[in-house]
Amino acid sequence: MKVKVLGTGLTKFGEHWDKSLKDLAFAAAKEAIEDSGLDTDKIDAVFVANMLHGKLTGQDHLGALVASNLGIVGGAFRVEAACASGGIAIHLAIQSLMSGTYKNVLVVGAEKMTDAGASEISSALMGAGSEDERKAGLTFPALYALMAKAHMQKYGTTRSHLASVSVKNHYHASLNEKAQFPYEVTLEKVLESPIISSPFTLFDVCPVTDGAGAVVLSSDSTQPGVFITGSAVATDTVDLSQRSSLIEIAATRQAAKEALKQAGVKISDIKVAEVHDCFTIAEILAMEDLGFCQKGEGGKFIQKGSTKLGGSCPVNTSGGLKACGHPVAATGVKQIIEITRQLQGRVGKRQVANADVGLTHNVGGTGGTVVVHVLQT
Amino acid sequence: MNSSPVQIWRKHKNLHNYLGKTGRLLVWTKIFVAPTGFEHQTPYIVGIVQFEDPSTSSGQVRLPAQVVDCPEESLKVNQKVQVVIRKIGKAKAEDVIEYGIKVKPL
Repeated sequence: MKVKVLGTGLTKFGEHWDKSLKDLAFAAAKEAIEDSGLDTDKIDAVFVANMLHGKLTGQDHLGALVASNLGIVGGAFRVEAACASGGIAIHLAIQSLMSGTYKNVLVVGAEKMTDAGASEISSALMGAGSEDERKAGLTFPALYALMAKAHMQKYGTTRSHLASVSVKNHYHASLNEKAQFPYEVTLEKVLESPIISSPFTLFDVCPVTDGAGAVVLSSDSTQPGVFITGSAVATDTVDLSQRSSLIEIAATRQAAKEALKQAGVKISDIKVAEVHDCFTIAEILAMEDLGFCQKGEGGKFIQKGSTKLGGSCPVNTSGGLKACGHPVAATGVKQIIEITRQLQGRVGKRQVANADVGLTHNVGGTGGTVVVHVLQT
Repeated sequence: MNSSPVQIWRKHKNLHNYLGKTGRLLVWTKIFVAPTGFEHQTPYIVGIVQFEDPSTSSGQVRLPAQVVDCPEESLKVNQKVQVVIRKIGKAKAEDVIEYGIKVKPL
């Protein structure tokens, strides 16, 4: 696979009351194009990842909306796969380059969520679940809470293990000026915050976020940039209850196996990773299902500091979804941006030393879609 | 999100398949922040229930369902439960009232 990330652009994640989705997408895209060193007329197509905008505002047709705002008149596509929309847009953009259809493409992930209230957002996000789950009054925190309870029942995972994910990711976010919550929290604060859906408290749950990320990808490997050497997607049932197991995300295992095989590397070669920590249990499951540790050991593995900056493989150096924020469809693109910048040595205080191989892991719903990418210098 | 009358009619036609069935509660959570239409019920309990069903290849069917008529403290893993028919969400004055399945402990 000879696809390179030539440029990256990212807005601050948080509450952008003065900016629309179009504004956020434009800002990230402009920065990415400038960073790539390409002229805008060299961009052949735009892939726009978005999940909620049509539902929340009535505005669809986002491919042409974003492309025309940038003065790009080539291909323009909107991509939706719930919270994995960004990763899937990257995957499709890579396919378009490998097929030879395009030479340089722009991928923009953008979401504008804070205009809506909590119940409205909870309902809109449940579009990523099944009808039976919606009729049961489930929310995404509740669905992952069910997975957490099952993991606790089987492996003895504790509230403290869950909370340690949040503490670590807030520490990483404290080093990232683009993060929604760039400050540290204590284990006690996580444990004592209000319950959202048992066993999760407020600090186990990713926030509602506005933000956009953009990358310029190219099939021209002579340009300076970071290689994407593995890109794989796997799927499973949308309805959590229909899975054979509640304590793993099988699609993560499958996508990781394929992406690592494409890249010709092992999980032990990964020096830095961005994984999908929409809820604290999700990062524990990701560590186990990606193969960083044994099944059932994820909580202890994270709590002992292996994935904190300075550990053997720092995970979610951006702050993750929990503390950097989760503008749903922008997340998968932001993960690629963070790993690209880590591999380029551009992230300042949160730089991982000697980072030459990185991985991203983006999940849609409760694991109905998973996309894994491997990046190398 | 409210369903249209025809969606509700389609769903109601299948409810009798579940009436009176018993199953086991595998796992549950208590929800404090609800989606639109469920705010008035908070906090409420939702779990995954496993029913025996010889007509399927695995012999089992799993469904998500609200757990009603009990305090959370009384629940245990593999609790035996029975399907009941209850209102789903909150209908506005001119909406068709939607019913669906929930479970209660036996």
